[in-house]
Amino acid sequence: MSHGSPQQGGSPYAPHTDAETAAMLDAVGVDDEADLFDIPDPVAFDGEFGIEPRSEQALRREFSELLAENDDLTEFLGRGHYEHYVPSVVDSLSKRSEFLTSYTQYQPEITQGFLQALFEYQSMLVELTGLEIANCSMYDAATALGEAALLAERVRSADGEVVLVPEILREGKRSVLENYVDGAELRVESYPTEGGTADVDALADAVDEETLFVYAETPTVRGCIEPNLAEIGELADEAGALFCLGSDPVALSILEEPASVGADVVVGEAGVLGLPTAYGMGLGMFACKEEFLRQVPGRLVGASEDADGTRAYTLTLQTREQHIRKQRATSNICTNQAWVALRAAMHAAYLGADGLVDIAEDCVTLARDLAADLDDITGLRAPVDDRHHFREFVVGTDQPAGAIADDLEAEGFAVHVLGEHRLQVCITDANAHAADDLVAAFEEVAA
Amino acid sequence: MSFDTPDDRKYLASHEWATTDEPTRIGISDFAQDELGDVVFVELPDEGDSVSHDEPFGVVESIKAVSDLYAPVSGEVVAVNEALHDQPELVNEDPYGDGWLLEIELDDESEFEELMDADEYADQIA
Amino acid sequence: MSDGPGGKESRTGQNGPTENGREPGRTYDQATYAVSDDENEPLLTEKRSDTVEPGDALPDDLTRDDLTLPNPEEPELARHYTRLSQMNWSVESGPYPLGSCTMKYNPPVTEDVAADPNGAVHPDRSADSIQGTLGLLAGLQDYLARIGGMDAVSLQPPAGAAGEFTGIAVARAYHRANGDDRSEVLIPSSAHGTNFATAALAGYDVVELPSAEDGRVDMEALEAAVSEDTAALMLTNPNTVGLFERDIEAVADVVHDAGGLLYYDGANLNALLGRARPGDMGFDIMHYNVHKTFATPHGGGGPGAGPVGVTEELAPFLPNPRVEATDSGYELVESDEAIENVHGFQGNWLVLVKAYAYIARLGDSGLRDASAKAVLNANYLAEQIDLDVPYGPFHHEFAATAGDAAAADVAKRMLDFGVHPPTTNWPEMVPEAMLTEPTEIESKQSLDDLAAAFNNALGSSEDERHDAPSRTTAKRIDQTSAAREPRLSWQALEE
Repeated sequence: MSHGSPQQGGSPYAPHTDAETAAMLDAVGVDDEADLFDIPDPVAFDGEFGIEPRSEQALRREFSELLAENDDLTEFLGRGHYEHYVPSVVDSLSKRSEFLTSYTQYQPEITQGFLQALFEYQSMLVELTGLEIANCSMYDAATALGEAALLAERVRSADGEVVLVPEILREGKRSVLENYVDGAELRVESYPTEGGTADVDALADAVDEETLFVYAETPTVRGCIEPNLAEIGELADEAGALFCLGSDPVALSILEEPASVGADVVVGEAGVLGLPTAYGMGLGMFACKEEFLRQVPGRLVGASEDADGTRAYTLTLQTREQHIRKQRATSNICTNQAWVALRAAMHAAYLGADGLVDIAEDCVTLARDLAADLDDITGLRAPVDDRHHFREFVVGTDQPAGAIADDLEAEGFAVHVLGEHRLQVCITDANAHAADDLVAAFEEVAA
Repeated sequence: MSFDTPDDRKYLASHEWATTDEPTRIGISDFAQDELGDVVFVELPDEGDSVSHDEPFGVVESIKAVSDLYAPVSGEVVAVNEALHDQPELVNEDPYGDGWLLEIELDDESEFEELMDADEYADQIA
Repeated sequence: MSDGPGGKESRTGQNGPTENGREPGRTYDQATYAVSDDENEPLLTEKRSDTVEPGDALPDDLTRDDLTLPNPEEPELARHYTRLSQMNWSVESGPYPLGSCTMKYNPPVTEDVAADPNGAVHPDRSADSIQGTLGLLAGLQDYLARIGGMDAVSLQPPAGAAGEFTGIAVARAYHRANGDDRSEVLIPSSAHGTNFATAALAGYDVVELPSAEDGRVDMEALEAAVSEDTAALMLTNPNTVGLFERDIEAVADVVHDAGGLLYYDGANLNALLGRARPGDMGFDIMHYNVHKTFATPHGGGGPGAGPVGVTEELAPFLPNPRVEATDSGYELVESDEAIENVHGFQGNWLVLVKAYAYIARLGDSGLRDASAKAVLNANYLAEQIDLDVPYGPFHHEFAATAGDAAAADVAKRMLDFGVHPPTTNWPEMVPEAMLTEPTEIESKQSLDDLAAAFNNALGSSEDERHDAPSRTTAKRIDQTSAAREPRLSWQALEE
């Protein structure tokens, strides 16, 4: 190696040559880097981690071989994590290093690009929800729901401490909610569902003066489109509770506008746009009414002007946030999912209203058609719920569901097992090409 | 820099003032508004609420800071400066006049004895 | 990348104007794409939008009336976002020495391995069918445990703040399991605001600890504050001004003797890689900021990941599930004592892959070199700037003071000299603080450029600083009106 190369055996990303290191040590006035560490002997670490450094090639080979251990299954999976095809242009633009390797926009004059992109993302959510305020991301749908319940606790003067959620809420989402409201001493309770959506009469019985927050989803985790949103909103409103609606931007492009059914807050998984299947990684959507502006968790981008009078964007209302308000902040969130939000906005803009509505309508018709095909198979009933469906639906089976799923896996397909005789199947534009093959596999294994 | 400390009112160490004449008005000092910088939002109690001597009753926000507001004297809120909702800058522009925060019905006049007069307060911020 | 010995150093800073009268140091002109004096790159909605009514897939009572969204053609979309990218500073643009943020170079190879389609699996897949995914997660759990000196690791928390919340929830669960009702979390006043917000989120009262004169934990104040109500003490080490808490063993004893737990905030772990481990210092719980220490890209504010490591005693309280290697392969295991979850699924997968790849690329020697060069760079840079640094000996970062100048204005002026400025006005223990963390990735040349930017900004007139920046896409932005009249969407601009 030439004399000018970085030191051997060091970090490949520390550019110092031996000579530069020597000059810098000299300038600082020490002989060795070790002299710069003020670590008492008893707590100094002089062992080895035993981690062998890899070359780029070795690294790529190793990771590729490791991930190749995953079975190559065509997934018909959803229940909160969905895939829609992400166009190449989203990848190529979002991976530009100016976006990918930038930090939070604490110096807005030099980070206008990202700020504008986040402002556009917020605006798209405003359009989709009909609510006036959207933040520039939470971690995922579950944490956004937790934050929404805490928002309710801050903005409602009522003494209520009960957070009402549908009994079919995904377990992991409920668990996160329980965690978030524990410190505020709120109580999470379930209300009954009927046919995959809210049992409105039972909900009416469950709502009382103790109720702080009513949460409903459309589509629900069973893929059912909730037909009674406005009634649920009224129930919440009459009790002085906040009505929080869970959905996603693809579904919202055709389903009832949340503002029109009385939603105070909308949360959900915005990673349905821009994010391919990623083992559950998400993008938490959070939008609410303007009256809650000062209590919104997370970062907000606003428009202002610069010294030349040109429109400019900046993080704003930061006094809500932890770095200023400390223990009285509206949330502890700082790092969020900004880059995923950027990708979601790119994807939405790529599609436009036309493309987005097309995908959403496909989610209805693909699910309807697949359910009909499966229903034709002896030993299967689909959909189990007498509702309109979006992307996914529950399938009843005569044979044990677990055995069917195992057999399908052997045939190259993954579906959800809900219970002894219940499966759930999810179809979107991303796996629709394999729908006929799935039906054929079901015919093999379900009877 | 020197700051106004009018002597028709008395001061709390945390930089709030109360007028000694009726009606009792409460606000923050010239010094306090300068320390905060541009005020962007003021959160105040509602009419009918009570405020207590040396207890927080609201919040004033600038871009980079949030400060609790403490009541110099106790009483029931009879008026809130609604103009601050749209023009929080009044707190900066006229802290002793149009930038007032609350009017209260005084509970106990003797609480004024626990406050600083203008000279004492001027010494504190000198 | 570097000039090596004898390389040209003509850009460096302190020799007065060069022959052409130009100030020393690098300058920077950021791109602008203006359509008028009022506006740079137009908003998407100002280009082209379409309004669509839902078709007949669903009955009308289930659908909205219509939807309006921007609809640029793909070439225009590409230009829009490319222009926005050019109006954005990044690590690959130049130095980004934000203190406590650890803005390292993000190796593209980690992007490539994270993009492996074989890794794009759904979280509800059977464990048997995703042995590769689970193997990778198990490997990362293992590496992180070794690096932190911890016994067990959860990868679920999707960011540092979520890691803090997980850790404090673990402490809460541990105390509850012991029938021990504790109500307070101790936090040094110099700590990041997130620590305070996290403790409050978990339902604890916060007790602030003042710093001692030397900038470290004040042992007397700690002893006075610790009680049977103490659930945990949250600490970074090195602390916010880069100082190693020399008394860390005594601190741990005081907290443990009172029945409390010691929590390590991993924000500053880059200083210690391969040189000291939180587990060896007596910490019971820690989070790792993989988007700092392990070079996963910040992405303009996220995603990150905040894995949490704990001692063996606390392992059962980590959120479910965790990955375990067994004789028959990798399994997802659950504990009855686990806290509730902190993410709907298993966290930020793509970020975790990149972190694992970074650690594997560096290995022992690279990690140790990272901390060495990070600390050397901070010390070298501090030597080259005209600002005082009141606290030392510091490690990977230092808190300089802008003195009589306003730190925020010095920072704005630095933008014109081709660098991003440090974190300003924090921590509060240093007046007009400029918290600076160059990380190991800066060369001597780039540190000299950075120093020149500091010195040129400090040497500028007050007016020049007040009017700065002048070479960025946006000039100084009016923060006050942004907050007084919030306009948070393009819909709000039309009002």
